[in-house]
This record gives sequence, C-alpha cells and structure tokens, in this order.
Amino acid sequence: MADLIEIQATAPTLAERLFETQSPQRPHSAPAFTIEVDGRQVTGRAGQTILEVCRDNGIEIPTLCYEPKLPGFGACRMCVVEVEGEDHPPISCARAAEAGMVVRTQTERVRALRHTNLELIFSDHNAYCLPPCQNKCPSHIDIPGFLKANTEGDFVESARIFKRTIPFPSVLGRVCPAPCEEHCRRDEVDEAIAIRDSHRYAGDQVLRLQAEGRKAPVPFELQPRSGKRVAVIGSGPAGASAAYYLLIDGHDVTIYERDEKPGGMLRYGIPEYRLPKDSVVDGEYQSILDLGGRFECGRALGTDFTLDDLQNQGYDAVCVAIGCYDTNKLGVPGEDADGVFDGLEYLRTATLGLPFPGHAGSRVVVIGGGFTSMDCTRTSLRQGASEVTLVYRRDMKEMSASSEVHEAIEEGAHAIFQAAPTRVITSERNTVTGVEFQRMRMGAPDASGRRRPEPVPGTEFTIECDRVLLAIGQGPELAWLDHGSDGVRVNRNRLAADAVTFSTGRAGVFGTGDVRVGATTVVQAIAEGRRAAYAIDAYLKGMDLDDVRTRQTIAEPQPAFLSIVPFTGELKEPRHRLRSMPADVRNRSYVEYEIPYTQVEAMDEARRCLQCTCEAIGYCDLRRLGIEYGTTLATLEPSRTGFSHRSVLENRFTGYNHDYIRDDSHAFILREPSRCIDCGRCARVCAEVVGAACYDFMRIGMDTLVTTPLDMSLNDTPCVSCGRCAETCPTGALMPKPRVLEQYDVDESRCILCGICVDACPYDALRCGPDFELAHETRAVPDIDLLSYSAVQHDTEMSYVRRERDWMARALAAGRDVSIDRLLPVLSARIGPGRGEGNGGAGGSGNGRGGEAHQLPPGPAR
Amino acid sequence: MPAILATPAGWPRITLAAAGQYDPDEGLAAAERVGAWAAWRQAVGSSPDGLVALVARAGLRGLGGAGYPTADKWRSARSQEDPERVVIANGIEADPGAFVDRTLMELDPHAVIEGTALAAYAVGARRACVAVNAAYDLAVSRLRAAVAEAEDAGYLGPRAAERGLDLQVEVRPLQGAFVLGEETVLIHALQSDRGMPDQRPPFPSVRGLDGHPTVVNNVETLAAVPWIVRQGAEAFAAAGRNGLPGTKLVQVSGNARLTGVAEVPMGTPLREILDQVAGGMSDGSTFKALLVGGPPGGFLPESRLDTPLDPDALQAAGGILGSGLILVVDQRACMVELGRVMERFMSDESCGKCIPCRIGTRRLFELTDRATSGRARPTDPQLLLDLAADVRDGSLCGHGILAPNPLISGMRYFRDEFDAHFNAGTCPAGVCNPLRVTPVAAAPR
Repeated sequence: MADLIEIQATAPTLAERLFETQSPQRPHSAPAFTIEVDGRQVTGRAGQTILEVCRDNGIEIPTLCYEPKLPGFGACRMCVVEVEGEDHPPISCARAAEAGMVVRTQTERVRALRHTNLELIFSDHNAYCLPPCQNKCPSHIDIPGFLKANTEGDFVESARIFKRTIPFPSVLGRVCPAPCEEHCRRDEVDEAIAIRDSHRYAGDQVLRLQAEGRKAPVPFELQPRSGKRVAVIGSGPAGASAAYYLLIDGHDVTIYERDEKPGGMLRYGIPEYRLPKDSVVDGEYQSILDLGGRFECGRALGTDFTLDDLQNQGYDAVCVAIGCYDTNKLGVPGEDADGVFDGLEYLRTATLGLPFPGHAGSRVVVIGGGFTSMDCTRTSLRQGASEVTLVYRRDMKEMSASSEVHEAIEEGAHAIFQAAPTRVITSERNTVTGVEFQRMRMGAPDASGRRRPEPVPGTEFTIECDRVLLAIGQGPELAWLDHGSDGVRVNRNRLAADAVTFSTGRAGVFGTGDVRVGATTVVQAIAEGRRAAYAIDAYLKGMDLDDVRTRQTIAEPQPAFLSIVPFTGELKEPRHRLRSMPADVRNRSYVEYEIPYTQVEAMDEARRCLQCTCEAIGYCDLRRLGIEYGTTLATLEPSRTGFSHRSVLENRFTGYNHDYIRDDSHAFILREPSRCIDCGRCARVCAEVVGAACYDFMRIGMDTLVTTPLDMSLNDTPCVSCGRCAETCPTGALMPKPRVLEQYDVDESRCILCGICVDACPYDALRCGPDFELAHETRAVPDIDLLSYSAVQHDTEMSYVRRERDWMARALAAGRDVSIDRLLPVLSARIGPGRGEGNGGAGGSGNGRGGEAHQLPPGPAR
Repeated sequence: MPAILATPAGWPRITLAAAGQYDPDEGLAAAERVGAWAAWRQAVGSSPDGLVALVARAGLRGLGGAGYPTADKWRSARSQEDPERVVIANGIEADPGAFVDRTLMELDPHAVIEGTALAAYAVGARRACVAVNAAYDLAVSRLRAAVAEAEDAGYLGPRAAERGLDLQVEVRPLQGAFVLGEETVLIHALQSDRGMPDQRPPFPSVRGLDGHPTVVNNVETLAAVPWIVRQGAEAFAAAGRNGLPGTKLVQVSGNARLTGVAEVPMGTPLREILDQVAGGMSDGSTFKALLVGGPPGGFLPESRLDTPLDPDALQAAGGILGSGLILVVDQRACMVELGRVMERFMSDESCGKCIPCRIGTRRLFELTDRATSGRARPTDPQLLLDLAADVRDGSLCGHGILAPNPLISGMRYFRDEFDAHFNAGTCPAGVCNPLRVTPVAAAPR
C-alpha cells in the first residue's frame, strides 16, 4: 500500500505531463532539410528516420515489424531501401534521414530482398487467409459470415452478407454447382457443410419478406446519386449483378434485354423445376428495380441499337453482358438433318412452358456433359419423351453437372459415358433415325490439364432415335460487332476485354460475363459482373484504370498459402440433406422437386460450420504485402502458360516449419502462434508502452517464437487485457476475441469488445471488469469520481493501468472505500486481500477472478 | 594450459608479449616485473586526446574480426555529449572450440584490464566492463583478481577516485549463444535483455549500454594498447607485414601438424602460417582448403594460400578475419558436407530476430542437406546462390550477413564438388551418404 500512496504524491503532475504528451515526441522547431526519395525532393526534420520522412510525404514503404510508437526494430527487413553510395542496403525504420540523402524505395534489388523475405515468412507460416470454401468460390462469398448469421437465425443479415458479393442468394442456392462444398474443411471431420442449401434458405426467407411487402436488404450503404448513366446490355446473371452494384454505387442504370422479360439464361436456359421463375427470379430481380434500375426489354444489340447509338444517347458507360447463345456444332456428317436441334433453342421453348412440337413419345439422344445437356435430358423426360439417352465423351466425374446425373437416371434417363458421335444416321427424307458413336478412352492431358479423350477404333455403335439435342457448349453471338462498334475487338471468338478492368478497346465500353470468357457457370458470371461494376464505377469516377487494376487485384481474395493441421476432436454430425420428391412424381412435373430446409435445419446446418477463416483477413499486413509482391492476377485469370512474375504463392523455399497450438484461454485475446511472424511488436508494445511485458522472443534459431514465458497462458502473465498487443499485431496471431455478453443490451453480434466504449464513456458507466469483461457500473456507487475523469484528455498513450492506478491512488487518498471488484486484477493483486471491505467477500480472491467477483459492490439503492 | 605455438624467430610478440612470462596467480608484483601497468602510469595525467592520437598513429584496428579502426571508435564515443560513457571489453569468444581470447585472458589478465582502463581513460568513461564467456572459470577468476590488485594498487576504483581518477572496471561472466559476440547483442545481454542485435547505425559509440556512448573492443585489441603506449605507435605500425600494423592471434586447428594459438604479424600470408607456424599438414593429409574465420568464415583453396592475413584481403578472397580461427581441411573432407555443418551451426545459433537469418539460414542448411543426401533439385544451385546473396544483403547483424559465407566461398572455389552433389548425385570425397561414391585415391592413414 505504501507505494500506492507514494504514487499518489507524485502522480498528478506526472500523469498530467503524460497525458499532455503527444507521440512521437519531437522538438517543435526541429530544423528541416531536404532529401531525395525516388526522384522526389521531400522535406524531413532532424531526428526523423527515412521511413518517417517517407510516410509523412505519402511515400509508402512496406513494413511488418514497425510500430510507430516505438523506435525502429529491424526484424522484418521489409523496409529495406537503397541509399546512394552505400553497398549494404539499410533499413529505413532505423536509419536517420540526413540532409542530401538520395533514397530509392522501389529498386529491383530491394524489391527482390522483400520478396525473398516474404517467401521465407510464408515458408514457415502454417496458416491461410480465406477459408478454402470462400477461396474456391468464384465470387468469394463470405461463407463463414453468412453461416454465422444463419446460426443466430438472422437470415436477413445472412442474405445481406451474401449480397455483398452476389445479389441473388436464392437463384444461386438452386443452380450453383457449389465448388465451395468440394473444399469445405468440415469434410475432415465428417461431411462438407451444405453451403448452397444454407444460402438458399436465407435467400428464400428474404423472398418471403418481399412477398409480404418488405424490401430486400441492401449490402452496402447506398452512395449518393452520381448523375452518371450506364447502359448494361443483357440482363442475365452477369449484366444483372453489374447493374446491381452500379446502382448501389449511385449510378443511373438501364438494362437492355432482347427478350420479353429480364433474366437471360436464368429465365430462358434453366428449366422451371430447377429454378422457379415467378417466385425466385422475379423476386430477386425485384431488388434491381427497388434500387432504381430500369429494364428495356425487347431491344437487342445489333438489331435495335448499336454501341454508337447508346453512347450518342449520352450513356457514360456501356457494359456488354450478352452471354453465349450460339450452340457449337458437332462437326460430324448429318448434323443438318431434321430432328437435330439446338439444345438451347429447345430449352427456351420448354422454359416458356410450351410443349416442344413432336417431343412427346419420341426417342431422344442428348449429346454433351454440361448443365445444358442435363436440363435437356430431364426436360425431355418431363415432356413425355419415350426414351432419353445422355451421351458424353468423357468420364462422369469430369462432367460439370455430375451431381445431377443420378437424379436424371432416377427419373428414367439413360446415360452413356466415354462415347462421341461419329455421324448422324438419316433416312432418305433427311430425318434422323439414329446416331453412330465411337467409344473414347482417356489420353494424355492437354494444356488445360484435363485428359483429352481419344477414340478407340472399331468400337462404333449406334443408338436409334428420333431426335438429337446438341448441348456441347456455346459461344457468343458477335454479329453486332459489324455495325456501330468501332474499337471493340474479338479475341478467340469472344469479346476482347481486360480481365480486371473489363475495358474493351473502346473508351467507356466494358465487356463482362460469358461474352468475355465463354460459357461458364452462373456464379462465375455473377462474379464477373460484380467486378465489372467495380471497374466501371472507377472509370466513371475518373480514376486511372491501371490503378484500378492494382486496387482491385488487392481487393480480390487470393488462394491459401499453406495447408494447416487437420481438425481433430470435433463432434461428428451429419450434413442436413435436402429431401427430394420421388422420381416418378417429379419426372412429370415442373414443380421444384427439392424440399427446402426448415428453420431449425437451416440453423443446425450452419452451426456445423467450423468458422475456419482467419479473422484478421481484412487488416493483415502480411497478406497485403504477399499480394503486392506476388502475382496479383493468379486467381483472376489463371494462366495456362505459367506466371510471368515470381510469385510468393509458388514458394521457392519449403522445409521445416512449425505448427503451434491455438491458445484461447484468455478471455479477451486469442493467440494463434502459427500465424506469428516473430515481428516482436506485441512484445515491445507490451513491455515499453503498457509496461506489462507478457511476451518476449523465446528459444533460438529457427524455433524462435514471440510468446509468453514457457508458453504459459496469457491469463498467468501480468496481462492487463488492454488489447494493445492484438491491436499492433500485423497478422492474425493476436486477435481481440469475440465474446458473447449476456447481461447487457448491446448488439452482441457486432461488439468486438474493443473497449473503446469503456475508454470513451464520460460517466464511467462501462468498465473493464475484474473478469476481463465489460461490466456495467451503477452511477450511484459513491466512489465514482467524475471530476478525476473529466480532467483526463482523450490521449493516445494512456493505458488502462495507468488510469486505473491514478484513480485508485486518489480514491484511497481521499479516504474512500475502494472495492476490489472495481480494480483491474493487476492492481487488486497489489492492493491485496482485506482491503475491499464491504465487498461481499470478493477480496479473498487475490486477482479478483472467480464466481464471487461477478457481484457488484453494494451501494445505495439504485 | 593451452598451447601457444612457437613462431619463427624475429616475429614480434605484442598481444602475448607478457603471456607466460609471469604467473597471474602470484599477484601484481609479478606482473609489474614484466611491464604491466607501466603504460597506465605513463598515460594517466597525459591528454586522453593524445592517447587516441597515439592509437590512431599505430593504426590499431579491431582484432575481433571486423577490423574497424579503434581510434575512430574511441573518437566517436568521445565526441558524444553524454558524459556517461562506457567501455566494454569483449571476451565472449563464442566460436566453438576457440581458445584465443581465453589464452590471452588466462595468461595475461593484467594486459586486458590495463588495456580496458586505457581505453576508458581515452574515451572519458567512468565505467568499464570486461564481458567474459561464463565457461572460462579460470579467466574470470584471474581477471577479477587482476582488477582487485589494480584497485589495491590505486590504479582503479575507490583509491584511484581519491586521486581524481574515477574508473570502475567490472568483470561480467556471461552465458549465451554464438551471436553474443556481436557488440549490440553483448550490450543487450549486459542489460539483462535477451541477446538480440540492434540495427546499426546508430553505433554503440553513439548509443549503447543503457543509451550511453559505448565502446566495445575485443580483449585482444585492448591488450595491444598498453604495448603501444610503452613501445610507441611506430613500433606497432612496423610490426606487421606488407605495410599492415601489429599482430593478430590465430588459432590453427584441423589437419595441421601442430594446432594451437599463435601470434602472427598482420599481413602474413596464410601459407606461411600453415607451413612455418603449424608445421604443415599432418601426416597422410594433403591440403584441400582453409576455413578462415570460424563457422561464418570462408573456405579458401590452395590458390588463395598467398592471401595475407588482413581483413580487407581476406574479404576480397571470400573469407573473413573473424576470430582468427584457421581450420585446416584435408582431402578427406567433403566441402558440401562441411558447408552444411557450418550452416547448421549458424542456423541453430541465430537469435531469431530477423527473417533472413532465422528462416533463410535454415533454408540454406536444408538446401545443402538435400544435396548431401541425394535429394537435390535441378534448381537448387541457383537457388542456393540467390538465397545466400539475399540473406547476406538482408540480414540485420553480422551473424546473418556472414552466415552464407561458407557456402558462397564453397560455391566459388569448389564448384565442381557442389555440382557433383547437385547434378550427378555423387560425392567425390566419398563422405556423404547415401550418395553414390566416386572412386578416390585412398588416403593413407
């Protein structure tokens, strides 16, 4: 106690001085001088390091271990620069700037050094950024995020999270091939999460609300109207998602559609039994109308208007998203015969609800292995074809629609794999009587890595049929390019447009979706549309599109860096599967055949998610630098010829690395040492700013790790739960731990327990309680001293401890009772037991932890 | 008692001038009979600037390895405003198997203490500290005895303070890893922090122990100072060869006929050290390489044997002066395997602060490990060179900067042998397993 009284004697002046201190401390009149950085003359002041001068002048030098409150440390070696006249490149965080210095921050040599450093870090970084599901999703949906919302039953929030990257959760919930589920890490425990069915449920809940007259959630704050006009050509998934995000960005969007109703392939390519048009497509497209988008249906590019026309009408930008509607030709004799149909034409008729003439009772052969072929097969069954045979030239597992094959067979279709047509057999009147096929076997892998099928001679066989439906892929219709579209080019039979900026050769004209990349999945098209919207928005704001390329590639998630230890010990719980209608019922019906989740099922399924994402992904410096110094286009446009840059993703260095165990014993701070890069920031901040010294470098050599002494739990260190370590950590090795509060009326899903409310509350109504949680203090407790707080400025250097200590010293000096419950553990340990009179016995628990510590000090009646 | 190798007649003895001439356990009088503390008595009262100038004229350079001019270091510390200056004598000697400094400290502790005191006087320091490897029990006790005797004699401590000469010399045994020999690491260790280096500049002579200007000199450097004061700068400057000043303690080990510590004039060609000091190769050995400078040193082949013992010349040849360790390697050794062992040592001894050293040296070790176990990849030779250059240029302190040296010099002089491991999967020396062994002429044993 004596030392506390002493503190009281000196504290006010010291504290006041500390509170007035601004960091970093420098003489106000430090002489200024000029140094040259990257060819620019910039002004520095005496005492500044090169890094500080650069940061002051807006020149970015990458750092990982630099903590602005502390002197340079020099562990990460990322801030290395070249100084003219010096052989060994110095690090800028520790090197004082001197007048006349000539500094280069981005030479090939220093970039190579930084690159090597990053590669070395990643070679011992057993962690990943995005969970694999989100990584593999073409649009990188925040899957753990919306599943988390699902577990809480907040399906509108779930849909909102989903809509951040894809505007149509219900549509995708029905038609997405769900590449995410193939990579789900729950598979290591039992079965992958039903991700698609989960967002389908969330989306359907929103549709239900919409049917009741409510509005769908909008993922972002609506931007003020920009006054810019954008024409989107094509209302399919790509065009619609581009329009959606452009509308949110505040632009005026008109969507041109050649058909009678918007939707593109969603409406005219996917049958009703898979995707109900009225309830789902119209329902989700309603959100575009809600945002102020306009559809101009029945107007086709090339016949009704040209690009010139649109731009003459004053559109500031035009986005071409017309998709792929030209079915490829078989290239075998007889394919012009009567009875050979384009699968898309067939589906178009069928999805309009019209029976295709002559289909009932006919024998149908469907050629192809994609979703279109599957839709043709199953629709033919529903239209009464007597026999339907699907033929695909590769193996079943290579089919993009392989999941549907079993359902089709259940419904009565036949499927033949590894056979390719050699000719269409016709009668004298040129009508189809059959198709001759040849067996295929898998040959050597081609450039795309898929094994190319090759024919096996002498294995020809014939299937007799009346009709042939071709579904062997589509290309875009590009006839419109002949008129009024100068400057737009074709590349390999597709519209030529950049993969990131989506700009065609013509100013203000962008191309996205299938017309740019060829026929792909709906989710891919939606991802394309969203990214095109970003690029168009940037163009409309007058930004440099090359900058946009960098910005956007950094914004896009990147693949994982390393694999990680498998999950063990999780309880097994099977996946909740959607039930289907019986095959003999559904093959005569266009009604959606899958029976959706109940709410309980949806919540239970979402609860299975292991939430294996890295929580630090948004602010991880290592990730940002890894992207900057890697091949940024790696995921956006996979290159078949290899990467042009050296990539940190293709690490040159592999070898011994560490798997550390997560420490979640602390109530506030989550430690994930596998993500630690040994920068030492936490150790230095803890020791030098906070004064607690919970961490240090431990062990030597490759095994060095910044951790607690003996790897003990943070609870056993002098930790004061100030959170400074988590705040300064450049990666996700130390994180504020999300906690669920039960006692108070706060939005639990959004509180990260940052403690800012505690800091900011002028009435001290919220405090950091003895059990490291936010505790609600009654204002009637007599020992709250408002005056002592009103004098405190909102400073940056003050820690809880210091304030707490000063407060306690004054309270004691004033002869007031200091109840031990009110104190931080570090201080209550110092005050010792027995001081907290009238405290319900909590004084006995030295560090104030334990059940009794939850009691509030008895005070006057509230 | 460590062996001191005989040197040819006419070679000067400076650092070891009094070593073996008196028994340190017999007290101050015995030491003073061979000249101990004469320089101190001579220097005290004269101008410290004059002492600095004398050392500058002598051309004394740091003998701990880096070869930085001692007088410049002193001047830099002396020019600082902070009056609380500190002198640290570095007697850590962390190289495995080395006993150069240990020999000096055990046989002539008074020279070390006197040199430290002189340095403190020149710099204007009131505190000096001799940091000694804690494993050197005898050296610690003799140094402590020497300090006590000097205090009793009124050269240092309270009795000197009565005469207006305020200087405390403390002997601090320190335990630690290899990197402890680095000056900023040593300073951290003396502050009871974890031994990790700081980025230089600022050099310790500007901001060192507890933030005060600090001169860190090797004990060998400091032991030469009293001799310079007694015999004059010119005598010291003339002691070396090829125009270089002074002498250097070296330690020959390995396949030489004689092994041990010797004092040789600076600038002596390595060949002369091998032939005239170590007596040539041991029986049945033929020369293959010298590892000059300890584990972070460089491998020098026969063709570089005429390199003089001089920091600059050695650096140009790919070695370092370092601790003065000279490992003689004969034809039975595999250079890749030796490089692997050195790299493993450097990796394990890294303090772990900076990335290139902590992970980079480990990856270098793994590259050589792949080569010596027949798992090399086609890209490995280039990767080894690239990574070695990046570790050298990117590391924080001398440990990481020098760590790739054995591999860089090995690739430079013994490329055939490295290529045999990398490309053909063979070990010409027949050392590495399970590589296929190419026939070699059996070495007579």
